[in-house]
Amino acid sequence: MYHYEQKGPKRGIALYSYSAEFGFEKTLEDCFEELKDMGAHGIEILANTHIENYPYPTDAWVDKWFALCEKYEVEPVEYGHWIDCRVLQDRDLTTEEAAERLEQDMRLAHRLGFHIMRTKMSVITDDLAPVENWREIITAVLPLAERLDLKLCPEIHIPTSLTSQMIKDYVDFIKETGTKNFGLNIDFSVFRTRFGEGEFVSPGFVPSKPEDIIPLLPYIYCCHAKFFEVNDDFEETMVPYKEVLTILKEHEWDGYLLSEYEGNDKYDYGYEVGQVLRRHHIMMKNILGY
Amino acid sequence: MEKQVIQSTGFRNIVENGEVTGFQVKIRLPYYRGVYLSQIKAGHLIVDGETFGENEIMWRVNGEDYTYADMKKDCHTHWHPMEPATLIVRKPGGLAQGYHDLSYGFYCTHSYMPPAMEALEDPDKPSVVYFVEFGQNVNSRRLLIV
Repeated sequence: MYHYEQKGPKRGIALYSYSAEFGFEKTLEDCFEELKDMGAHGIEILANTHIENYPYPTDAWVDKWFALCEKYEVEPVEYGHWIDCRVLQDRDLTTEEAAERLEQDMRLAHRLGFHIMRTKMSVITDDLAPVENWREIITAVLPLAERLDLKLCPEIHIPTSLTSQMIKDYVDFIKETGTKNFGLNIDFSVFRTRFGEGEFVSPGFVPSKPEDIIPLLPYIYCCHAKFFEVNDDFEETMVPYKEVLTILKEHEWDGYLLSEYEGNDKYDYGYEVGQVLRRHHIMMKNILGY
Repeated sequence: MEKQVIQSTGFRNIVENGEVTGFQVKIRLPYYRGVYLSQIKAGHLIVDGETFGENEIMWRVNGEDYTYADMKKDCHTHWHPMEPATLIVRKPGGLAQGYHDLSYGFYCTHSYMPPAMEALEDPDKPSVVYFVEFGQNVNSRRLLIV
């Protein structure tokens, strides 16, 4: 299987960015070819979007998946999935039921060559607190995660702060269990310092400082390189990219920066998210030097 | 597949043993990821002012037919955003040749939205909290049947 030898922060793409075009203007192979165009070597997929016949893809589809990775020199980086604890409308799943469904995704992630999972736990409040039994669910699957060499990573996203209690709870869990199979995916929206006029900002949101990421680096296995606006000089105007990427480089953090474009304008008629991703990759390439 | 939720392809009367027993119309999931059937709150189909509900409608997903009651319990059958579902609607005699105004409502739970927010959504009413990537609860289209 293809492996990119570069050490340090590496450029990749979260296929979520293509949400408005996937299945219409863009096929899965088109997306892979775009990665190749940009010199991006890592990919994140969303399990129940990009896998045909999810959760039971055919062997032929899995063969095609590996052939695409090989052809376009892309490595499977992150398997995006959800633990939908409220999949039933009249009650929450029990810990055992949630763990069983999670294990199904873990086996599929492993079958497709992934080592990192963006594990989205169901939230219960406006400030994105996960379900109360998240520790029990994760603990139940850690033995399988270890066996399959998988790291389960909740995504830390605006309005959560890197110095919040939620992060402390995750880090305490990692320390208490000593696990190497649970960590974090930091979404760069947490560093966002500027907002468009009239844009919604969660009440109480305080942007994290770039250096807040330093104590968390041992637990971060990949990042969502969230971006909002890259100007004609190829600079992101709302997130301090230069500072964040410089910290990652200087601390020899090794992992993928997965470009994720979340702007709703990607659904506008004629919008070309591929061109926006290219701007973002020129920006990251200018900072990283590769 | 078309970007509209209600698809023009697949809209036709259903003939069984030489008799027209109803009609079918395909809908796609206007959400960027798939859902399990139990996540769907299915509403009513209105055709030229006539309302069809759970007694008349079956959903066909991956080639299998499900009643609304089946769907509520089924947290294993996955509806993929690239695979439109077919609404099989019972109506002896079917729809007359010509144009029809169709409107259908359904809502999917998302798990990362706070439950209090999701409880506000009625599949037959416009979305209370609208996100372009979750789609609108109610979708309409005027289509021809032959």
